[in-house]
Amino acid sequence: MSITDEMIRQATQDLYSWALRKVPDDTKDALRAAMEAETNETARKTLKLQLYSAEMAEKEDGFVCSDSGVPVYFVKIGTKAPVTGDLKKSIREGYEKLVETIDPPLLKHVTNPLTLERGYHGKDMPIVSYDLVSDAEYVEIVCSPKALGSGRWAAMELFTFPSLEEIETYILDVAIKAGAQHCPPVIMGIGIGGTFDHCASLAKKQTLRAIGTVNENPLLAAMEERLKKAVNSLGFGPMGTGGSTTALAVHCDFSSGHGFTPVAVAFNCWINRRTRVRLWGDGRIERLE
Amino acid sequence: MTEHDLTLPMSRENIEKLSAGDIVFLTGEIFTTAGMPTHDRLLGCLDGVEPLPFEFEGKTLFHLGSLLEEGEDGKANIRYMNPTTSTRFNPHMPRLIPGLGLRMTGGKGGLNAECAAVMAKSGCVYLSFLGGGAPIITAAIRKVIAVGWPEMISHYRIVNLEVERLGPLIVGIDAHGASVYDATKMAALERRDDILAQMRKERET
Repeated sequence: MSITDEMIRQATQDLYSWALRKVPDDTKDALRAAMEAETNETARKTLKLQLYSAEMAEKEDGFVCSDSGVPVYFVKIGTKAPVTGDLKKSIREGYEKLVETIDPPLLKHVTNPLTLERGYHGKDMPIVSYDLVSDAEYVEIVCSPKALGSGRWAAMELFTFPSLEEIETYILDVAIKAGAQHCPPVIMGIGIGGTFDHCASLAKKQTLRAIGTVNENPLLAAMEERLKKAVNSLGFGPMGTGGSTTALAVHCDFSSGHGFTPVAVAFNCWINRRTRVRLWGDGRIERLE
Repeated sequence: MTEHDLTLPMSRENIEKLSAGDIVFLTGEIFTTAGMPTHDRLLGCLDGVEPLPFEFEGKTLFHLGSLLEEGEDGKANIRYMNPTTSTRFNPHMPRLIPGLGLRMTGGKGGLNAECAAVMAKSGCVYLSFLGGGAPIITAAIRKVIAVGWPEMISHYRIVNLEVERLGPLIVGIDAHGASVYDATKMAALERRDDILAQMRKERET
């Protein structure tokens, strides 16, 4: 009994395909709650339309959005997981199979930044990062395809010994700059500290956290509340046509570092693409999201 | 906020009756593309590099990308269609709107103040489509009339479509230059200092 190439290939394909068709349940709940709370009539109508679009995509087994983004996977390998498959190779092959077989087909979004040529494949595609989970017997794979609409508004700045005020002011200014561009209401992921690369990764991972989960760190839990209220006070609203629902959630994480402190902000648009499976040695592909 | 059921093409006089924030549904003929190279090429047409693939005078050009397939009957068929970010085309639209004679443009995210000023001068509105609204937008397509520049990748082509009650769409910028995008951005900038002061207070308690 082991985690095989075939299981990894299958999971890679399914995760991406699901992510394009289904808005996560926590996100739909958050959109519904926002619709109840909104006082702006246009904003309420847009939130209702977003929920309807999500429902239709599920019913018709179609895509919510035409921009299927670039493939991004996060792999967590349990140190006791019986893996016989070649993770790197099988994820690439799974993605290649997806491109050949998915219905409806994907548009060509993978872009060579030097020549602007577009296709399905390219250097470093799919983008995969690996991590270890002590003692776990499974391999967990998360897929979060990233498209232009929200992807291009992510930002990072490096400070030296910043106060909380400087950090939060920067985050608010990034939200103002993004304005109406990232298909709000969005999920904001914030990374504070560490190094340049680690901080960006923290921010990205916080966009993948389930909405409604409370931060274990009391300083960050308070910061999340404060920032969510602040961003929603800006008034951009759903699709930027006004209202008090610009962010469904603000999720923060931090890392120790040196006195130079990166602060990174990443966004997921309202469809919040995020799917997750665990692969087990007995052949099960357990769908978690 | 008023709702309008509109039939295309529209006269300048009727376009001017729409106000920023209104909700509209469109029935008739539209043009779509999501391509940056397509916009560059359209500018080239205005410079005489090549002829325009279609006559746009008095018509619409929306920032919508679609997956085109050839159906069993050999005719082009759209599997899905959805808006792209219009602000990417801020540098193109001030020339394209009057140059092509557009009455409507649209997509998601709006256009900048320079574009809004041009729109007021030439009688054009910007319509906001729901990002992530592919099922709703695609359902309004009745047929593909023609495909311009088929040598380009699917979402870059210019697609001439017939739609029925495409919407709801929000008038983001009207033909008098009023823009919900500029208004929300200005309001956000005006609120910024008060919001920061409120956050300071909350941090201290």
